[in-house]
Amino acid sequence: MHPLDLAIIVGYLVLITFVGLRLAGRVKTAHDFFLAGRTLSWWVIGLSIIGTNIGANSYVGAAGNAFSIGIAQANFEWIGAIPAMILAALVFIPLYWKAGVYSIPEYLGLRYSPTVRVVAALIASVVSVFAIGVALWAIALTLQTYLGWPIWVGIMVTGTIVGAYSIAGGLAAVAFTDMFQVCIMFLGGLVIVGLGISHTGGFSGFAETLVLENPDHLQAYLPADHASYPWPGVIFGLGFVLSPAYWWASQAILQRSLGARTQWDASAGMMFAAFGKILVPLLIVFPGLLALVMHAQIEYPDMALPWIIKNVLPPGISGLMFIAIIAALQSTIDSSVNATSLMLTRDVRHVLLKNANPDDDLKIGRLLTLVLLLLSMCTAPLVAEMGGIFTFLQTILSLFQGPMLALLILGAFTRRATPQAGLWTLISGVVVASATSYAGVNMLYVAFSSFIYALCALWLLSGFTAPHPEKDLSKLTYVLWRRN
Amino acid sequence: MDLTHLPLSWANYLSIMGFVCLLVLVWLVPRDIVYEDAPDQSRWRDIRLWATILIAFQLLLYGLFTR
Repeated sequence: MHPLDLAIIVGYLVLITFVGLRLAGRVKTAHDFFLAGRTLSWWVIGLSIIGTNIGANSYVGAAGNAFSIGIAQANFEWIGAIPAMILAALVFIPLYWKAGVYSIPEYLGLRYSPTVRVVAALIASVVSVFAIGVALWAIALTLQTYLGWPIWVGIMVTGTIVGAYSIAGGLAAVAFTDMFQVCIMFLGGLVIVGLGISHTGGFSGFAETLVLENPDHLQAYLPADHASYPWPGVIFGLGFVLSPAYWWASQAILQRSLGARTQWDASAGMMFAAFGKILVPLLIVFPGLLALVMHAQIEYPDMALPWIIKNVLPPGISGLMFIAIIAALQSTIDSSVNATSLMLTRDVRHVLLKNANPDDDLKIGRLLTLVLLLLSMCTAPLVAEMGGIFTFLQTILSLFQGPMLALLILGAFTRRATPQAGLWTLISGVVVASATSYAGVNMLYVAFSSFIYALCALWLLSGFTAPHPEKDLSKLTYVLWRRN
Repeated sequence: MDLTHLPLSWANYLSIMGFVCLLVLVWLVPRDIVYEDAPDQSRWRDIRLWATILIAFQLLLYGLFTR
């Protein structure tokens, strides 16, 4: 390894740990720990959202997909994110803010019932533990590749660094370190773009080769009979269901919005992140296209990014890309750990243990952060050996998203949805989604059909069940046409 | 329902329609919600304008990358 690479890597680890621990002094209460004492400004929130969103699969997986299907991979960043982020900023964040909640399950609990709150929190938490395990494993593999560290050392070192600042500094430390991590990611991405374009004879050379040799790779939409990403599935399944379900209901994403110093900062932060999302394909899709233009001889698409790092980046700069990948993974891990700790501390503990003392939330939150990290460190090798479990859990989560989105939309925009109808729609919606998934239907269509089913079921069942008390509904529903 | 025969050009029309509907929705959001808690009433703090720029970018990108 080039000494400059090593210096960059060590410098990054020291800086992240220092920044995280510096913020620990601010944490006096659970409010400080979970919501950063509501002090975050819009640009910190925006950068932190991007850092949390770019995860384990983004770098390697998206570059590999771009190598195979081209610019269509960018749909996950554009139509599969930006419209939902705009509506999150203008509709859902103001709604959650008005309700005064710490978490999305808490909002669902107020709008429907405590049972819905616990179910939503538990499903998200279980999936999160495995997701953190996958991210830890990915970091350990990267460390092994570049530094030759044994896998267990990589897991221990990453868990210790992330744990130190997450446990000590809570959301504020997570958000500020995310901010640094995103800057590093963009810097690494821009270096690849610059060097890559110069390797292919300038922008015109790059574009001409791509257009002449792979014209289909410049199509944002793939034919309706495409096996993995048919355009109707992308527009209806991804654009209308999976993306809104993620951007309107993911606790790891929205927690920094709820930690904003004002409602305006919360909304503006999400909108700022949407501007960042326009540029994200430069980081994660461009390397795949570059490998294609440079005629990379690779065995399988996921090797596109490692091939670019090896063949395009000079020694001394590859360390930058290495920490960009580590940063992407760390920012996902710290956010997930903090969000899951919040959901277990408040949404599960406060509901199931009636005598739970809110004064203990900070202590319990920190303890749970530690336990979650240890659990994820233990599950990391398991996830690698039995990857099917994680795929299974991800499938469970996606089965849950259509019905959950229906609950959120009818709950937010109408006063009709009732607590009992909410619970039964959630349960039956997951059953319907499981049945269609079992029948072999594409996941994007499963999400859309279960969402439509849940919307109809919730609307109909609400006509026969006891309504929500009217007095509580004004702060839990959004009225679009009110004008002053 | 078999969706595999739908023409590719429909994707472009549908997404343009979707973005235009989104733009209308954005400007239906009341001004007081947009400026809630804002330190001042400067025009740049109107995040409906930010959303409009984002939608324009999306229309441009999808116009560029669809046939």
